[in-house]
Amino acid sequence: MSVAPARALPSSPPVSRLAARGGLKAGERRVGWIFMVPALVAFTAVILWPFISALGLAFTRYDLRTPEPIFIGLANFRAILASPQILGSFVTTFVFVTLATVFTVAVALAWALILNQSFRGRALLRTATLIPWVLPATVAAFVWAWIFNSRFGVLNAALLSMGIIDLPQAWLSTSAGAMTAVVITKVWISVPVTTTFFLAGLQSMDREQIDAARVDGASDWHVLRDHIMPHLRPVLLVVLVLAVIGNLQQFDKIFALTGGGPVRATTVLSIEVYRLAFDSWDIGMAAAVGLLWVATIVPPAFLYLRHLLKDA
Amino acid sequence: MATLQLSGVCKSFGTTPVLHDIDLDIGEGEFVVFVGPSGCGKSTLLRLICGLDTIDSGTLTIDGEIVNDVPPAKRGIAMVFQSYALYPHMSVASNMGYALRLAGTPKAEIERRVEAAANVLRLGPLLKRKPRQLSGGQRQRVAIGRAIVREPNVFLFDEPLSNLDAALRVDMRAEIAALKQRLGTTMIYVTHDQIEAMTLADRIVVMNAGRIEQVGSPLELYRRPANRVVARFIGSPRMNLLPGALVGDPAAAEIGVRPEHVRLAGVGHGLAGTVRMVEHLGSDLFAHVEIAGVEERVVARLDGGREVHVGEAVSISVDADTSHRFDAQGKRMAPAHNDRRTA
Ligand SMILES: Nc1ncnc2c1ncn2[C@@H]1O[C@H](COP(=O)(O)OP(=O)(O)OP(=O)(O)O)[C@@H](O)[C@H]1O
Ligand SMILES: [Mg+2]
Repeated sequence: MSVAPARALPSSPPVSRLAARGGLKAGERRVGWIFMVPALVAFTAVILWPFISALGLAFTRYDLRTPEPIFIGLANFRAILASPQILGSFVTTFVFVTLATVFTVAVALAWALILNQSFRGRALLRTATLIPWVLPATVAAFVWAWIFNSRFGVLNAALLSMGIIDLPQAWLSTSAGAMTAVVITKVWISVPVTTTFFLAGLQSMDREQIDAARVDGASDWHVLRDHIMPHLRPVLLVVLVLAVIGNLQQFDKIFALTGGGPVRATTVLSIEVYRLAFDSWDIGMAAAVGLLWVATIVPPAFLYLRHLLKDA
Repeated sequence: MATLQLSGVCKSFGTTPVLHDIDLDIGEGEFVVFVGPSGCGKSTLLRLICGLDTIDSGTLTIDGEIVNDVPPAKRGIAMVFQSYALYPHMSVASNMGYALRLAGTPKAEIERRVEAAANVLRLGPLLKRKPRQLSGGQRQRVAIGRAIVREPNVFLFDEPLSNLDAALRVDMRAEIAALKQRLGTTMIYVTHDQIEAMTLADRIVVMNAGRIEQVGSPLELYRRPANRVVARFIGSPRMNLLPGALVGDPAAAEIGVRPEHVRLAGVGHGLAGTVRMVEHLGSDLFAHVEIAGVEERVVARLDGGREVHVGEAVSISVDADTSHRFDAQGKRMAPAHNDRRTA
């Protein structure tokens, strides 16, 4: 009985002739590259090449008066540094990204904690939570534009009837009001998915750990601080980075809601690039601002990818 | 140290009743073990005692004070969970000192108490580690250490050793016995393990389907089980049950005989049967005997030196003074008067 397998091993044929020479791996790699080719070609043609040529435009003058891009070195970037408006849009972007990210994460976390309790109607509420997510972004923006509308908006109607304001307010025509409106809209749209992330994290939490903490004397606040937050840390990191990236890229909701106004109050970088390119037709400047805009996204994206790869 | 009284305690989850009318008095420094089949409500009872779940009706009294509405941390109770429930992101030392930190105990005092507990449980070199860097047995000791550090009045253990291998379980059992000696704290301990229950308990509480079947010292339960549930639950291998009529006692519905009291003899000395299985443990030998008219095989515990073979025709007999009589409801009956009876 012990003899048979010992004899069978050497005489049984190897899985593949290549395997014996250690050549199977190299062969597999070659085949792998062949499979990759269509994706690489598509990626290069559709993403990489336009991206690189757009980057190239950042170093040229290319506007309505120049039929061909003219290389001008770093002149566009010097112009950006000298332009208070464009520098202002960096500040606006920073304000918008910070507010939208902080409120999205805070509201989604609170909402997830509520939905993680057991109460009647929880399943319904969980489903309803996803509604803002399935609405197209521009539809959501118009819903909020209507809410904030100065003449027939719901917000004015509600505040007037509660006696909080005496006259209808033109929310979207003040700088602070417009910024608040775009932040609220963005938060409203982002909360569902973010909540889902947090809920998934909460559901993998060990119930007995919280029970043990309760017996040890932990209050709700202690449970949150000492047990739930440390448990959610990896989720929080991913959510934060994704939110920052998403908010840096934000365009459609802001454009639909305020168009970047009033004046430049909500002109974030994405709107700035759009205006430079398609209002002023200054493609060179647009590309230069776009290059800097991409540069702002690289650090969080890098963090995110490193986090993903570390776990893999 | 504390006394603890449960009276008329009921608990339902939704419409499902889980505990019915539990009455129990636990004395100061007593070690009480809850045993019972899975799902009978042992963990639920522990959670009610430490305040993690609320009591539907009835009262829980600790040291003469009704604590139904007192939050867990204020009951002076520490609990060791079956899953250990260590805090994964805290070091061993922080795990153990957590309750004291929450209570605002000065740092030096926390360190002193953590160190003292660590010494008792030989955790000293592990204090800086995280729970995931520990073995199962070490985690178990940390969980116990976390309970000791608080110097509670009552310890609750929910199957604390069930995740450990057999050898480690023996060690930890000894450690818990030593702890009981040293601290003298009131302890309530849930287990599935016969040996843990018999060796650790001052009193055993046998539960079944949300009720207490019997409370008594380990030997009391072993020698005078109040009903067939207790009779079958205490003792391993479990008590044999034979129809009363079959062994010449038609007044009793069933006669229970422990394996060590079953006598095995050659054919013609009692109930005829056939040996179907033999388990040789070295010192002991368990013979499983099939008997016509008895549902389960009767297990006889014999001396390890005996020769018994599968397929052998044998006969078994039982003594009236070592057997237990149960009525049709499974309740214990007084011994019959005919003094010696062999079937
Ligand atoms: N939160 C809950 N909701 C509904 N039913 C529950 C809940 N907790 C326990 N039960 C039910 O209550 C009964 C008793 O459960 P419990 O956990 O107390 O059993 P146990 O005696 O500890 O069992 P085991 O030995 O398997 O640990 C079981 O039938 C269980 O399904
Ligand atoms: Mg249990």
